[in-house]
Amino acid sequence: MASGYDRALSVFSPDGHVFQVEYALEAVKRGTCAVGVKGADIVVLGCEKRSAMKLQDTRITPSKIGLVDTHVCLAFAGLNADARILVDKARLEAQSHRLTVEDPVTIEYITKYVAGVQQRYTQSGGVRPFGISTLIIGFDDNDRVPKLYQTEPSGIYSAWKANAIGRSSKTVREFLERNHKDDMDREATIKLTIKSLLEVVQTGAKNIEIAIMAPGKLIEMLPVEDIEAYVKNIEQEKVEEAAKKKGGRPGASGSATLPSRGSDE
Amino acid sequence: MEVLLGITGKDFTLIAASKAAMRGATVLKAADDKTRSLNKHTLMAFSGEAGDTIQFAEYIQANAQLYSMRNSIDLSPSALANFVRGELASSLRSRKPYNVNLLLGGVDPVTLKPSLYWLDYLASLAPLPYAAHGYAQYYCLSILDKHHHPDIDYEQGLKILRMCTDELKRRLPIDFKGMLVKVITKDGIKEVEYFDEKPVACP
Amino acid sequence: MDTLVASYGRPMFEKEHVEEDQLELYQPGPSLSLKFAMPPVAQPSAWLRAATDDHANPNCPIKIAHGTTTLAFRFQGGIIVATDSRATAGNWIASQTVKKVIEINSCLLGTMAGGAADCQYWLAYLGMQCRLHELRHKRRISVAAASKILANLVYSYKGMGLSMGTMCAGVTPSEGPALYYIDSDGTRLAGNMFCVGSGQTFAYGVLDAEYKYDLSVDEALALGSRSILAATHRDAYSGGFINLYHVKEEGWVKHGFNDTNPIFWKTKLEKGEFSNVTSELV
Repeated sequence: MASGYDRALSVFSPDGHVFQVEYALEAVKRGTCAVGVKGADIVVLGCEKRSAMKLQDTRITPSKIGLVDTHVCLAFAGLNADARILVDKARLEAQSHRLTVEDPVTIEYITKYVAGVQQRYTQSGGVRPFGISTLIIGFDDNDRVPKLYQTEPSGIYSAWKANAIGRSSKTVREFLERNHKDDMDREATIKLTIKSLLEVVQTGAKNIEIAIMAPGKLIEMLPVEDIEAYVKNIEQEKVEEAAKKKGGRPGASGSATLPSRGSDE
Repeated sequence: MEVLLGITGKDFTLIAASKAAMRGATVLKAADDKTRSLNKHTLMAFSGEAGDTIQFAEYIQANAQLYSMRNSIDLSPSALANFVRGELASSLRSRKPYNVNLLLGGVDPVTLKPSLYWLDYLASLAPLPYAAHGYAQYYCLSILDKHHHPDIDYEQGLKILRMCTDELKRRLPIDFKGMLVKVITKDGIKEVEYFDEKPVACP
Repeated sequence: MDTLVASYGRPMFEKEHVEEDQLELYQPGPSLSLKFAMPPVAQPSAWLRAATDDHANPNCPIKIAHGTTTLAFRFQGGIIVATDSRATAGNWIASQTVKKVIEINSCLLGTMAGGAADCQYWLAYLGMQCRLHELRHKRRISVAAASKILANLVYSYKGMGLSMGTMCAGVTPSEGPALYYIDSDGTRLAGNMFCVGSGQTFAYGVLDAEYKYDLSVDEALALGSRSILAATHRDAYSGGFINLYHVKEEGWVKHGFNDTNPIFWKTKLEKGEFSNVTSELV
């Protein structure tokens, strides 16, 4: 189907595709889901955690959410091993930026850097693109405005109010589009994050990871018990809602047509 | 005439550095900070060639922090001291060596043991209970030899430090504009309010 | 031999990270250390020193333009920057109308002391880097960052004969009024007041005595200009015109480029200062 144009990375197909990059996007789609949601003065990352096997030590198995610097947090979907390399490069750049400019990196700067690294690996021979998309969240120095960015294997980066990447990201994004409001407080933001993840995570709290960032504070990983409480709460609400609406309900409501990612700009 | 002093005690390490930044015959700054914190419980004080000192210290600081970010755990003071020594040793054999002398003080976050390391530009490394660099050595080491004891508490440590800085003010021919003092305990690094406006009489 | 040393002398940290593809793949612009043609001798820096050091050898073949008084200080209303305008090459006054304040952008000023060419070249280069930073980061560069670019730059040429003592003064929303001193040793200091150049001691003398943080703007301008005047009077390598700037929150304002001679006589005759100079023939 690709008639040889997918062999070498640095060769275009006649209709302008770089197939290796598109295959990388395929790897992203197979990765576990990650969600980022901005509230009024908070930003939350949620991740679907792969179910651990019986003998796996979940306590020390690396997480999909990584710190790039004390004020920047990154979650990814796609190939775990590729992400490790990319996160490490970002950490190095964050420290290097502090060293040369005496300021911590801005979220946009580090996003641009990560996207820059990803782009580099789509334009030279002998390398393979990073099979990951990332969500980067955090707060700039002396700033209370939450930031959320996404990068893709091609090197595109974009800013969002809320977004999802990875497996079933389309479903989750549609859910977010229906339910995201601009001025959510801490509780509402966390709840929306978990609720959106529950759209695709069947196994509940034990397969969800939540990281919260607030201005001037260190990252906060939400304990499993808290996530469980949220999940229970959400499920109860769903039951009540279903009970209330029992009777005549005219089909599913918000099935809005989704603009594709490319046209979001 | 830069002064660096370090004293360990029962559960703390004190690091003191002179506040004057001199160039030629001029004091350009009288509130200079010649220390950099490497992580939550390790502090490094530096003296030596202008330019080299800060370049080297900030390079070490960035690497210590990068290590903490990458591994989600801080390096211990002893690990950092040996890392710094390695860097100085490789720099010494390069085309343009760093001319920097250092004191590295800290409290081990696991064992809670305070420690102090003395390093010079020739990459010597010595763990010591108390240490100094430059001319301060000639005045202060004898005082410390007499009065220091490994399990002194913080107040006693400050008292000995005061004896040292008073002697320096009394005998050093150049004004070093007082000392900036920091203390490292298991809770982290704190600046100590250190008054040295009091004139010292020379008998 | 040098390559052997270089491979041995690489910091430990770099050794574990040899990623060649990294280096060739991504070079966002020219590196901060530009490449210059070097004289074809074994030790270019020692050779340069021998050829230019007019202190040790008054007959040296190249005389670099030197000699300056520059000052800058922070006060309640912002920052005052003042300089003289004389350039000397050995005992020869090469120019009396040098602009020693370099306008990096509308909020940042640099001053030059030391080698005139070095300062002019590298401060212009700094201006370029600041503009690039502004474009890349979508906000104006901080004074801390700008001064650090310059300090890292001159540090990379340490020992190769650069001679500069500069100050960066500016006001940014994040740091307020900020003042940094940078010299060719690689020193970089933040501070409230600096005087740089052969006349620095004379300027310090006048400035220190009457400096207060809550000086009014007019007082501060007068003090800055009077300090330069003091230096031009006593330092043979300073003179010409007094170049005066005031850096405010909205940006810098120029307060003239005035001949020292009439200012000197005005000061002497109206205030009775400089009483060592007699205006009558005795």
